[in-house]
Amino acid sequence: MNVALALLWKDLATEWRSRDRVVAMTVFSFLVVVVFQFAWPRMEPEEIARLAPGVLWVTYVFAAVIGLGRTFATELENDAMTALALAPGTRGWIFLGKAAATWVLISLVQAMTAVVFALFMRVDLLTGLAGTASIVGLANVAICSIGTLLSAMSVRSRFREVLLPVLLIPTLIPVLAAAVHSTTATMGGEALTLTLLQPLIVIGGIYSILCFLLFDFVLDE
Amino acid sequence: MNPTPADRIGLTLRVLGWITLVLLPVWAWTVINSPIDSVQGIMQKILYVHPPLAYGAYLGFVATAIAGALFLFKGREVHDQLAIAGAEVGTLFCTLMLITGPIWARGAWGPGNWWVWDARLTLTLLLWFVYLAYSLLRSFTEGDERAARFASVYGILGVVLIPLNYWIIDLVGGAMHPDNLQFEENDSSLGEGMGLPFLVGNLTLFFVFAYLLVLRWRVGVLRVEADAPSNAGEGELQHG
Repeated sequence: MNVALALLWKDLATEWRSRDRVVAMTVFSFLVVVVFQFAWPRMEPEEIARLAPGVLWVTYVFAAVIGLGRTFATELENDAMTALALAPGTRGWIFLGKAAATWVLISLVQAMTAVVFALFMRVDLLTGLAGTASIVGLANVAICSIGTLLSAMSVRSRFREVLLPVLLIPTLIPVLAAAVHSTTATMGGEALTLTLLQPLIVIGGIYSILCFLLFDFVLDE
Repeated sequence: MNPTPADRIGLTLRVLGWITLVLLPVWAWTVINSPIDSVQGIMQKILYVHPPLAYGAYLGFVATAIAGALFLFKGREVHDQLAIAGAEVGTLFCTLMLITGPIWARGAWGPGNWWVWDARLTLTLLLWFVYLAYSLLRSFTEGDERAARFASVYGILGVVLIPLNYWIIDLVGGAMHPDNLQFEENDSSLGEGMGLPFLVGNLTLFFVFAYLLVLRWRVGVLRVEADAPSNAGEGELQHG
């Protein structure tokens, strides 16, 4: 557990000094939001509100892919990946620390993106904000779990920038589908119920446990 | 001289080959002699090919995941070769399913209906993407042992995705197959004389899948044995 906390602290401190990942993800997210404006015809506010959850989640997922691609990139320098692999204790804790740090960073970027999204798209995100935030937080557990595991694999491969999205996006389809479904409900003013959260709890739980166990096999000594 | 793993696989291959050889003409005969559907016409005969392909597509993934898990825990090359075979033959069946499905859909549901975002279609498409990602992961990862290990991990994730995707797509309300293809409760939608060719089709394509899987597995194992002749003893195909 101490390993997880140490890695969480190390990753957040490193990011605080460089701000590389957060800046890259945020700029990319803003760009995606702007690009969508040019990708569809002139629409009534009601139509935009109907499409908003989908657009928001596509933006979030693409930004997450950008951020996850850098999760282990810094560890390649000075062969820190080997040092991580040689660390005593269960390797799952390394996974947990890395995933938790990514969760914090991605959530931060998503909060900033939401403000720009609401402004540019003229969408009322304040309706059901607590519910939407809970959905985003839960979906991020699944995204960061599977993303951290696949990032540790793709970083050791050729064409890692291409390989990560190819590996990651098919595994994120259930998360994306469940998140858009639940976000549509909360943004439409529906109260947050367990039924809305259930798919994300199940996917997040399965992905976290599976990735915790499988992480043992993706680090090379 | 002790039989090598390839020898033992070869015996299974011969048995599967003979069963497949007997079943193929029986299947063809039952399909030719099955009645023509009054609504869909000759197009309906694709029923005896398209759904049975699903066995291969899904079983390929299950074989890949089980073999991958065995490889992770035992580190034996023979299991990794089975995982590769499962993925490759599964991709073939999945691709054939994705080709025959739209042909049938266009014929049965009319022009412009090549594709609908139905739960089963979407699931098959996603499965196909996972298969492709699995193959790309293998080719882009340097080092045989590492590639095998990473692919095994991804294979396990892939098989977990199948029920998860099905559940989610169903939950969020994916469109269902049009009514004319839905099965009635307590009754099969298959017309008279269509049950036998459908059953034989399922059985034949299952054995075709098993034959191709074992054939590809054997080729992989033989290649490994040829590369490391000193390791070709009984059950000694190990990585590293």
